[in-house]
Amino acid sequence: MIELTINGDTHSVDVEPEMPLLWVLRDELGFTGTKYGCGIAQCGACTVHIDGMAVRSCQRPVGDLAGADIKTIEGLGNPETMHAVQAAWTEQQVAQCGYCQSGQVMQAAALLSQYPQPTDEQIDAVMSGNLCRCGTYPRIRAAIHAASAKLQEG
Amino acid sequence: MKTTWLALCMAFTSTPLLAADDSVEINAPAPGSVSEEQGLTAWSRVFEVASHPRCANCHTGESDRPMWSGPSYGKARPHGMNIRAGASRMGVETVACQTCHSTSEHAQDTAHAAPRVGMAWRLAPPEAHWFNRSSVEICEQLRDPATNGDRTVQQLAEHLNHDLILHWAWHPGPGREPAPYSLLEHINDLLAWGAAGTPCPTK
Repeated sequence: MIELTINGDTHSVDVEPEMPLLWVLRDELGFTGTKYGCGIAQCGACTVHIDGMAVRSCQRPVGDLAGADIKTIEGLGNPETMHAVQAAWTEQQVAQCGYCQSGQVMQAAALLSQYPQPTDEQIDAVMSGNLCRCGTYPRIRAAIHAASAKLQEG
Repeated sequence: MKTTWLALCMAFTSTPLLAADDSVEINAPAPGSVSEEQGLTAWSRVFEVASHPRCANCHTGESDRPMWSGPSYGKARPHGMNIRAGASRMGVETVACQTCHSTSEHAQDTAHAAPRVGMAWRLAPPEAHWFNRSSVEICEQLRDPATNGDRTVQQLAEHLNHDLILHWAWHPGPGREPAPYSLLEHINDLLAWGAAGTPCPTK
């Protein structure tokens, strides 16, 4: 059994240690907010936070994660108490099909932790690994600026 | 801290036998026991390894953009996703290498997925510039302590033996061509080159 801390709660899973975290989240524990896009770290749809850092969960063997603090989109906020990024995403109507958006939101939240007032260049540099086939990039950038402003207001 | 910048990978003709975390016994030949001609031949094999995409793609000099090149990639181009390794050479300023290249001893067995080893993924230091560099340029860089991390040839060999990212070059997983030769052959070539007085080609 492998013990994982996900969104502050402890979960025990009986899986092979080589299984990617993404598989465990979706198929073993039902955290389906994190999406499978490519499975080879090319798209960013499966982005979660591990110890505060945005990572591609399809590339993380779960056996390495005992003791780690894992946060998924379900733990970032909820409809009643949204994270500033989630609120900005809603206000800016960023999503089109929406499939990549939980990964985009998780990457954006990590970006704002590192750069509370990011420039367009910093946004582009950090968000370039998160693909959106609907091409919502201008709205993603606008929403990140809006979230930044909201966080600055406190 | 001595970093991974010596991605001196290597060259052999048979199936790799060493796991990514294996190491080999280092036995340097006595100084002067190897002729200059033999040393230059050994160097030519060392260069085959250093210039191979499994090594050179992350030895990009002053550029902080890792490269994608070699038979697995077709036309050479910068790493996708606008990846920049930054001054840290580990991407912490923007997208950390570890975002995709997990630090893990679980082998990556999925073709085209992000390589990983039990050490933090990173670019080599700027002074260790091998991508698109000639045999002469790489040879002179490697034999100069000012540009090789202040190492003797014996210390270069030990570095090769201990750095798991370098070992990955011979076990890159499906879909990627391994570096030529083997870790043991590469280290032996390096030591022979050292015993010959680190001769470099003249052109």
